[in-house]
Amino acid sequence: MTARAGKTVLKPVRKKGFWKTLWGQKQLMIMSVPMLLYVLLFNYGPMWGWITAFQDFTPKRGLAESPFVGWANFQWLFSRPDFIRSIRNTLAMSVINLVFGTVSSILLAVLLNEVRNKTFKKTVQTVTYLPHFLSMVIVVGMAQNIFASNGPINKLLQGIGIIKQPVFWLGEGQHFWWLVGVINVWKEVGWNTIIYIAAMTAIDPSLYEAAAIDGAGRFQRILHVTLPGIKSTFMVLLIMNIGHLMEAGFEIQYLMGNGLVQDFSETIDVFVMKYGISKQKYSYATAAGMFKSVVAIVLLLGANFIAKKLDEDTLI
Amino acid sequence: MTTATVKNKNRIKRDAAFPVINTIFLVLLMFVTVYPVINTVAISFNDGTDALRGGIGLWPRVFSTKAYDSLLGDKEIYQAFWISASKTVLLTVLNLLFTSMLSFALSRKEYVLRGFITTVMVLTMYVNAGLIPNYLLITQTLNLGKSYWVYIIPCLFSCFNMIVIRTYICGLPEALVESARIDGAGDIRAFFQIILPLCLPVLATVALFVAVGSWNSWFDTYLYNGSKKNLYTLQYLLKMKLATTQASANAAKSTADALASTTQTTPITIRCAITVISALPIMIVYPFLQKYFVTGMALGSVKG
Amino acid sequence: MKKFLAVMMALAMIVALLPAALADEALEPITVTVFRGDPGDQPTDDNKIYKLIEDEFGIKFEIEFLAGDLDETLGLKIANEDYPDLFDGGNSAELIENAGALIDLLPYITEEGTPNLYKHIYTDNRVQQLLHDGKLYIIPNYGINYNGKIDNAPNGPMFFIQKQVIAWNNYKVPTTLNEYFDLLDAFIAENPTNKDGNPYIGFAFPVEDWRRFGLINPVQHLMGRPNDGEVIIDVTTDDYATTTFINQSYAKDYYKKLNEEFNKGTISRDTFVWNYDQYIAALSTGTVLGAFDQGWNHGTAMDALKTAKMDENTFLGIPLVYDESYGYGKIEEHYVNGTVMNKDRGFGISVNCQYPERMINLFENLLSDKWQKILQWGIEGEDYYVEDGRMLMTKEQYDQRSDAAWKKANMALTIWESAPKKQGLMDDGNAWAPGDQAEMYFGMMTEYDVNFLENCGVRVPGDFFDKTLELAPYGEAWQIDKAPIDIDYQDFLTIQDQTLPQVIMADPAEFDAKWDAFVEAINPSCEVYSNFMHEEVLKLVKQALGE
Repeated sequence: MTARAGKTVLKPVRKKGFWKTLWGQKQLMIMSVPMLLYVLLFNYGPMWGWITAFQDFTPKRGLAESPFVGWANFQWLFSRPDFIRSIRNTLAMSVINLVFGTVSSILLAVLLNEVRNKTFKKTVQTVTYLPHFLSMVIVVGMAQNIFASNGPINKLLQGIGIIKQPVFWLGEGQHFWWLVGVINVWKEVGWNTIIYIAAMTAIDPSLYEAAAIDGAGRFQRILHVTLPGIKSTFMVLLIMNIGHLMEAGFEIQYLMGNGLVQDFSETIDVFVMKYGISKQKYSYATAAGMFKSVVAIVLLLGANFIAKKLDEDTLI
Repeated sequence: MTTATVKNKNRIKRDAAFPVINTIFLVLLMFVTVYPVINTVAISFNDGTDALRGGIGLWPRVFSTKAYDSLLGDKEIYQAFWISASKTVLLTVLNLLFTSMLSFALSRKEYVLRGFITTVMVLTMYVNAGLIPNYLLITQTLNLGKSYWVYIIPCLFSCFNMIVIRTYICGLPEALVESARIDGAGDIRAFFQIILPLCLPVLATVALFVAVGSWNSWFDTYLYNGSKKNLYTLQYLLKMKLATTQASANAAKSTADALASTTQTTPITIRCAITVISALPIMIVYPFLQKYFVTGMALGSVKG
Repeated sequence: MKKFLAVMMALAMIVALLPAALADEALEPITVTVFRGDPGDQPTDDNKIYKLIEDEFGIKFEIEFLAGDLDETLGLKIANEDYPDLFDGGNSAELIENAGALIDLLPYITEEGTPNLYKHIYTDNRVQQLLHDGKLYIIPNYGINYNGKIDNAPNGPMFFIQKQVIAWNNYKVPTTLNEYFDLLDAFIAENPTNKDGNPYIGFAFPVEDWRRFGLINPVQHLMGRPNDGEVIIDVTTDDYATTTFINQSYAKDYYKKLNEEFNKGTISRDTFVWNYDQYIAALSTGTVLGAFDQGWNHGTAMDALKTAKMDENTFLGIPLVYDESYGYGKIEEHYVNGTVMNKDRGFGISVNCQYPERMINLFENLLSDKWQKILQWGIEGEDYYVEDGRMLMTKEQYDQRSDAAWKKANMALTIWESAPKKQGLMDDGNAWAPGDQAEMYFGMMTEYDVNFLENCGVRVPGDFFDKTLELAPYGEAWQIDKAPIDIDYQDFLTIQDQTLPQVIMADPAEFDAKWDAFVEAINPSCEVYSNFMHEEVLKLVKQALGE
């Protein structure tokens, strides 16, 4: 079910000349060009708004009357130590999320793939994706109880003897990124697993049989059949998520952050909320958003380029 | 006994132990994930004021359906349900149609615009123009504000779904389209007559994504239809109830409010009940879609 | 019978409509769009009060309530110039005023044409406090009292202590900071846990986001000033000297005390990481013995305790000051200020509104005694009854006012909340707000509270406070819009959010060093902030004195 089948196809015939070929493909154009125009209008059209990143924009003055200020908004952003920190926090948390999230969901998918009992497998799958539907407010509320000074985690760790004094999980900045990572894994692992399980079901069963005949054990089968079977899914998701590295979320940091940990909890989105939206500094918000988009596109195209060079699956 | 057989025996032992350990692990994992969910359900059926004190486990302490009464008790909920359900169905059908058509076109390796259009589409996932320009596009340029169509027209395309469908189509035997060609059918007919029926599993999957997204959205109502109460969606109404409960929970800012603000429901139970109400339709639909779900999803690209 | 009823109804409607129809020449029925900057429930289509309004004034309302972020919503409306006819910008109304979304109401309000409104805003020269460059955009929705202000139970900022602690202290109520913490410590020493075995937390306060007032506001009150936000203003001088207090030595005294109490274990470090929900949850378990907070901020927690029959765990609000040992002389407490008008809060009329006269006329009429009773109390015989001239509610009538479904059908909440209204007492001695009516106030009180207050030797909780202070000419300084210095103001708050908890949790030996570092860090933004506030205060004073 993966992309392998396409390999035998011939390259497009270029000899005819571009326009002639295009004319011959008018039915494909009918199916795709309207959608192209659609996204140009709905997704790219509003990009005129990026002009406001170079203006001192207020809604009252509007685009036409707001004065241009050059790069001043970007200069302001990068003069703020808290903005620089928010970039660091965003990248740190999204890298942690990416690694934790990918490893945990592949691991769970592999374990589920090894389950022979269909009912049990379905039950586990259904149950583990449920937290995906819980709102972040509820999840953070529970997490704050679990990680409280006298909460279950501290009690457990004290019980085993790993720590003597309760750890101040929620009040010490150095724990914050990891807490976010753990909570995100817990909430999304079941949901994220679905895609890998689907990819695994598409693996040809005869490959397993062949491996068994060759005397491969369970772990070797996982290593040599299962994991290669999901590689293209993994690659495409990886490239896609590398493009999303500038998005570490807003809600969880906003809900779980506090004065003590703000140096570690504020992401770019939180920063934008604090200065851009709440203080009507739309130009700052747009400048930050534009910066994020540009970095995201560079990351995406970079990752895609490297994958292409390595002859791996690519997104584009 | 040779070392090889020892190794083999060890491996057999290990292989035999694996399912047991695996099962235990998965059962533990289920417990860890299901507990908070049941806890949420329990709180939603608890008395609101009592729930503030915390400490509710898997069963309500003071049983009450007040949260559900206040969320579902009004007549306006039926209208909102109708709006939500109808726009979800309509959007899902239209979105699937357009997205799968595009996916087919972009799965054709001979299509000369393929690379360009794919890039433009993929970048939509990363470009964000900001709230105000988007808002002005909808309300001023297109004049879609304060209408039902604002739930449909801006949401007809999602790049992630396009990639999922495209991957699936690429996995179908190439010969199918080629044979249609030989019969003299154009690409459009080949798509509708041959490819689309074969795409049922992936369409079911994507339909779930689109439907869940549309069903759970409230932001579009908030942005564009806040003053049109006959166009309110279910999620917007629920969101509003939560906001109202929250506001009245910490209101009583003046003595004039004091009498009216004694609450019977609290944000904590309302929030849990909303979670249950929102997730329930998906829970009901999910088992029916699950079999497609598992075969329909795969991501990948086409090399070459 | 049905027919008879129908005829009677028709007759009643004709009678009801006649005066209105005669008074104004055929009012064309209109639909008015309304935005309210707070969340709310849509009224039912057959809401009885809105129906009365429609019958009398020919006005129907199409109301939009706040659903998302307020500033964001207002920003979008401003960008699109999509203004409703009646525009309540909630807590960010400055945005719509600054954007020019509202019309100046002053020309519409005259002694002859609109006597109720005229009296409402011109008495005591109130209008001077409300103007922006000589223009009036919003008539305050709250804070204009008739025949005096009712202070049964102050609801603002103060220290709180569980009633059982006071009872344990033989109903002797502490009046100074030291007495307060001594009492809490003594109580905990004797009762470390509650009867379920859960440990008591001595003292807590809210810190999350804008609720940081729990952390940063107490000092001004300990120094004997009402709530001016983050500054202390010397009203005894003509110059109204304005200083931030957080970087002063008298603030250090308070945080040193908290530091001591933290190291004794009276304050839990979890206080600093609780969000609002958790703070309320902690209070609701009854294990938090004391707090600095605003009364309205934890009403739900008190409800929870009452519902659980844990009355002895509910809070009593008390005013504390520094005692003389601190070297500031004898400080008089001034927690309760004179009535503060809810400036810039309530309905404005937008520039898009096509019927400004009719809107003014509506406000004018709704401010009449007849309509004020309807809006605040309801319909006589249905929603309240009158006995010996006193307006009263049965238990049922009272309870239904907290039923959301009932309110949707039987109260015009949006109009009541956002339009100008009367508070205080009617000329006949009844209270304008049902909750202020003495009989009802005492009727609502639990038996525990009645006994408790009696044992303390007071009649109402308000008796623990000194007489209300006369409001300074600038009002209360927290209302001042900080938009012009917003970035500096944000820095000012951010440093406090981050550093004050560290100062409180410091090792006692390091306290002084940490405090000095804090003062050094915050001094620059304190200077910007206090200078700005001083200018604004002087502007307001000048305006209020009509210069």
